[in-house]
Amino acid sequence: MLAVSRLLQFTDSTFPVGTFSFSNGLETASFEGIVHDAETLHAFTASQALQAAYSDGVAAIQAHRAFLRNDYDSVAAIDKMLILFKMNDEARLMLKRMGKKFAELAAKLFTNDIISRWLEDIKAENVPGTFPVAQGIAYAAAGVDEKSLFCAHQYGVINMVLSAALRCVRVSHYETQKILFDLSENVEKLYDEASQMELKDMNAFFPELDIIASLHEKGNMRMFMN
Amino acid sequence: MNREKIKTALVPEVDFSTAREMLPYLREPEQMYVGAPGKHGYLRLGFELDPDGKSILRDLDRRVPLIAQQELYFDEEMPEMPCLYILSSGGPNVDGDRYQQDITVRKNAFAWISTGAATKLAEMRYNYSGMIQNIVLEEGAYLEFMPEPIYPCRHTRFISDTRICVDPTATLFYSEIYTAGRKYYKEGELFEYDILSVCSHGERPDGEQLFREKFVIDPNVTPVRQLGIMGGFDVFANVIVMTPKEHADKIYEETKAFIDRDNKIACGITHLPNDAGLLFKVLGMEPGPVKKIVREFCSKVRMEVKGHPVPEEFPWR
Repeated sequence: MLAVSRLLQFTDSTFPVGTFSFSNGLETASFEGIVHDAETLHAFTASQALQAAYSDGVAAIQAHRAFLRNDYDSVAAIDKMLILFKMNDEARLMLKRMGKKFAELAAKLFTNDIISRWLEDIKAENVPGTFPVAQGIAYAAAGVDEKSLFCAHQYGVINMVLSAALRCVRVSHYETQKILFDLSENVEKLYDEASQMELKDMNAFFPELDIIASLHEKGNMRMFMN
Repeated sequence: MNREKIKTALVPEVDFSTAREMLPYLREPEQMYVGAPGKHGYLRLGFELDPDGKSILRDLDRRVPLIAQQELYFDEEMPEMPCLYILSSGGPNVDGDRYQQDITVRKNAFAWISTGAATKLAEMRYNYSGMIQNIVLEEGAYLEFMPEPIYPCRHTRFISDTRICVDPTATLFYSEIYTAGRKYYKEGELFEYDILSVCSHGERPDGEQLFREKFVIDPNVTPVRQLGIMGGFDVFANVIVMTPKEHADKIYEETKAFIDRDNKIACGITHLPNDAGLLFKVLGMEPGPVKKIVREFCSKVRMEVKGHPVPEEFPWR
């Protein structure tokens, strides 16, 4: 029961890791008219969730497993590997900023060597401090199982995009909740695949999202940081 | 049927046995076996400056079906640059082919490499086609690697792993263009291949890892037409530019990102991790306009690094 409480706490939109600052390119996709209604928002969010599943999701699962093995070196290696895989500045910024905030919070909530050592390494810039790794180790410390971690990770990505959508796309709360409800049905299948993958298997093919992200990075829209 | 398997002499093994995504495609072809002579291509190219300071192709080793033509000096903007076409005597990459290409550009040398024609990846029924590339650029070296587009046919399975090791003072322009398939063949083949798995990873000579990009495109599993993936586009170009930060920053500033919905063409640019350089992507409907944008981008890179533009493409290309 405590693990469920922790899960709810860490996934709550008021949990202060700064998710509200990021739109994952939605701001540009909306400006360009690519995302303009519930149907296009559904597709855009599905792509974001899929992209995260086989990269960040894999890293989060691997970090969770490393924590349970009490293997700090692997936690640090996963963190470093994930940042190599992040192909734009704003994505790296998002992952590092949210990761550091989560690490700082986790260090206050848990008394744990791996978490405190990781935070020290982030501050010393020995590791990048990515958000999925923070999720992996904090959820493991809270006794939340790997499958629930993955579910929370997916929920976080989908909810981040949909929360931004309410501020930059003409959609209603009813429509965003329906998208979240429907996309949640894919999560189990994504977990089945991601949980079998090693770090070297991480992959992402989302060229349209990449180009949208690049437009945001080059542009002057700044309601969101990505 | 038991057949004695002869190996191709004195070439590295092309091993993708740990690639999880290819596990469904491990049957031995009923034609020639995996990696048989003629199906295990190898190419080793080494460019260097000769005693007069001329950049030349010093090393060439090859196994069929890969062929490298003699280097030519046909670039009108950089007539001092050796230009080389890689060809395949086997036509398309077929089921069970394994290739390796090792390309080194030594200190301060420079070169341009392309393919003689588009690379066709044939229909495959049993196994897959795989290629390993090792590209090494030493101090001050410069390489433009700009092959023609790749056409995956129905049921193609293809995997590549490209390791790029670049000195901090060197510049690599490395492009790949993937079409959706044989768009104008019969009723049209678009995204009817089984899988493309493409991994490129960059590092420094001291082993420092800089970036790793991997695509696994499996249209039977992933909705490639979904918004955010290929959307309505048919052709995709990926360009890696590894260059010192001062060059990368200028090229980034000079390069526009855009989505032109009327002409259905889009491109974006961003920085690679660890100040390794730039990543440039193009989406379009036909190879021609995508190639043109890739070439124009290469011209920006060459202008910044070498002080010369890339000449107009030959009209027959």
